[in-house]
Amino acid sequence: MVLQVTGLRKRFGRTLAVDGIDITVRKGSIFGFVGPNGAGKTTTLSMITGLLRPDAGTVVVDESDVWRHPSDAKRALGVLPDRMRLFDRLTGAQMLYYCAVLHGLDRETARRRTDDLSRTLALEGSLDRPVADYSIGMIKKVSLAAALIHSPRLLVLDEPFEAVDPVSTAQAIDLLRAYARAGGTVVLSSHNMDLVERVCDNVAIIVGGTILASGTLDDVRGGRSLEERFVDLAGGRSAVEGLEWLTTFSD
Amino acid sequence: MVDDVLRLKLALLASAFRGPRRLARTGIVAGLALALAVAMSDWATAFRPTDADHRAGLIIIASVIALALAVSPLTSGLGSALEPRRFAPFPIEARPLALALALASAIGAQGLLTAVLAIALVVAWSGTAALATAVVGGALGAVAIILAGQILVAVAAQLAVAPSTVHTVTFFARGVVLVCVAAAITTALVVERGRDTTQVEGIAVVLASTPLGLPWAAPGSDTGAVWARLLGGLGLVVALAVIWQWLVGRLLEAPQRQRWMGRKRGLGVFDLVPATQSGVIAARSILYWTRDPRYRLALIALPIAPALMMIALAIAGVTPQYLWLIPLPVLALFLGWFSHNDVAYDHTAVWLHIAAHVRGASDRWGRAVPPLLLGVPLVVLLAPVFAMWSGVSGVEPALLGISLGLLLTGIGVSSVSSAAAPYPAPRPGSGPFDQPPVTAATAGWAQGLSMLAIVGLMSPSVVVAWWGFVDDPEWLPIAGVAGAATGVGMLALGILVGGRVFRRRAPELLDLVLRN
Repeated sequence: MVLQVTGLRKRFGRTLAVDGIDITVRKGSIFGFVGPNGAGKTTTLSMITGLLRPDAGTVVVDESDVWRHPSDAKRALGVLPDRMRLFDRLTGAQMLYYCAVLHGLDRETARRRTDDLSRTLALEGSLDRPVADYSIGMIKKVSLAAALIHSPRLLVLDEPFEAVDPVSTAQAIDLLRAYARAGGTVVLSSHNMDLVERVCDNVAIIVGGTILASGTLDDVRGGRSLEERFVDLAGGRSAVEGLEWLTTFSD
Repeated sequence: MVDDVLRLKLALLASAFRGPRRLARTGIVAGLALALAVAMSDWATAFRPTDADHRAGLIIIASVIALALAVSPLTSGLGSALEPRRFAPFPIEARPLALALALASAIGAQGLLTAVLAIALVVAWSGTAALATAVVGGALGAVAIILAGQILVAVAAQLAVAPSTVHTVTFFARGVVLVCVAAAITTALVVERGRDTTQVEGIAVVLASTPLGLPWAAPGSDTGAVWARLLGGLGLVVALAVIWQWLVGRLLEAPQRQRWMGRKRGLGVFDLVPATQSGVIAARSILYWTRDPRYRLALIALPIAPALMMIALAIAGVTPQYLWLIPLPVLALFLGWFSHNDVAYDHTAVWLHIAAHVRGASDRWGRAVPPLLLGVPLVVLLAPVFAMWSGVSGVEPALLGISLGLLLTGIGVSSVSSAAAPYPAPRPGSGPFDQPPVTAATAGWAQGLSMLAIVGLMSPSVVVAWWGFVDDPEWLPIAGVAGAATGVGMLALGILVGGRVFRRRAPELLDLVLRN
């Protein structure tokens, strides 16, 4: 087991954002974390990665508790959080170098890995521009590179493919698969069910702060498509009512 | 052809009045130009042609203003739409283009001020026998200024391809203009007092024989010298015109210089710091202090507080000389205090430090580097100067020690407060005057208490310095040593404590910025 989460709980004011979540992710798997908007995905992933302090529960990464022995756990973790800034006045190259050195890499290694990652993720042409000038998709790519640069054991990616073009997505997926084959582990969240079905071998569906289904992809789908199963669990489609005016066109 | 280019120039001038930002900029430039024009005509009407010192003053002022005007096109960056190179794609001969561009460049602020300068020369000599010489000299001088300005822009635009070089050129040109204007004002004041002007006359004689002063020195010289100077001025104009035409022809054909892009990229400041956590954080901080408008504004505003204090105290009747003891400690205090909310300025980007589990002290050290790098040399260099101006004997060690102490204590206190009591700050990318989306009551407390803490910790040394000042100068060196020692101690303590607080509270800091 590379990641073991037990009884994770977080309350914001009156709303219980995450209500007792348990997850185990085994080594070498690509674990998909899906759920509707506001289901608690980002909150859960932030607590797993040591960015948000949980009210209760434990997170163990590679046998170290993230909240009790953070330095060991965080060395094993590569993080791509959703909607958090980078130091965007740095250029892409400076940004990657910065992350690498913060994680303890030496100058030569940091530079070599920056080159390697930028080649794989097609970032080469943009490395000398400030990150502030990047598109959202480019920022996701440079963030992915930043998460990978210290070769962590566990990658936690929150919406890694949002706004990333299909070519770069395919390339990033190849990269993640190779990483998993070599013994790395990936936890990623996404709204894109097709993508999750394509990439992940294990999934968990989170709704309203609790996990409603979890296991291998085939177990969770139960013979249907993941999207159908997901919509079912998320409360089904509500019938479209009260929009009759939408079918009476104005001209 | 010529009228096409002139029309283009007029359209460009009109565009300077479009949009509030450009309008504001144009307003500033126009205001400065107007002030200069008024000053020049004022001086011209008050001119007494018979006085040798007046004539010397005129030569110096006209020469330095001419230099300022020639350099002035460089001050607005090098994006001039009327560089010769821009016309390279069109089938235009070099000769008419050179003429058209020179004429077009005479329209605008530079041309207007040049005309004012030439007219001022004529007005100054009106009613004397030298009037005709003044007309010819003024015209030659004006043409020379315009041509020289065009040549400078064309050469600079060809050579300065990297943005940083363009910045340097612009900055340097602004410096030259400022120095020239200051020199003109000084000369005017010296001549106005009219006491000892032999030095002014000496400078004028030298200037009168250089290309810079030739046309302005012509009126009022002896007959032989008049001809020599006018012919010299004519030669200057012809030479400039030939260079200009050759340059235009050259630029139409020569390839644009490319910025060399090597495979091995440099990382700027990051190449100069050690590859450690505190090293890269320091490099990142330096970049933000120099590039981010939120930090830059503070740096610009920094000298204002001491200046205001000096004015207030001067009005209150404090001996003016003693006021020189004020600026440096106040500047050091504010510079140290400035980073008391540094973490909030990172906004959510601070997650990178949390995810990498950066050592607290490394984070604090890195952030302390820019104010140290700026403040320590400033204090060390300026303390002797201000101490000398104050005229208080033996005050230098105290001024040095107290200022250093305030700076270092300030950085130490900021190290703790930015981790312990951050409050919402303007977001990255927003202007320095933008308010944060949420203003918190904690802001006032954090600002006030951190300031109070710095002053409080330094108060023993300041009190000792005060004794030295009013009572016994023996205390002054003691105050200096005490101040510096307090600073070093508080900086070390602040980084240690601030580091521990930062590491413990890191997720809460992130939570705080996420909420606003």
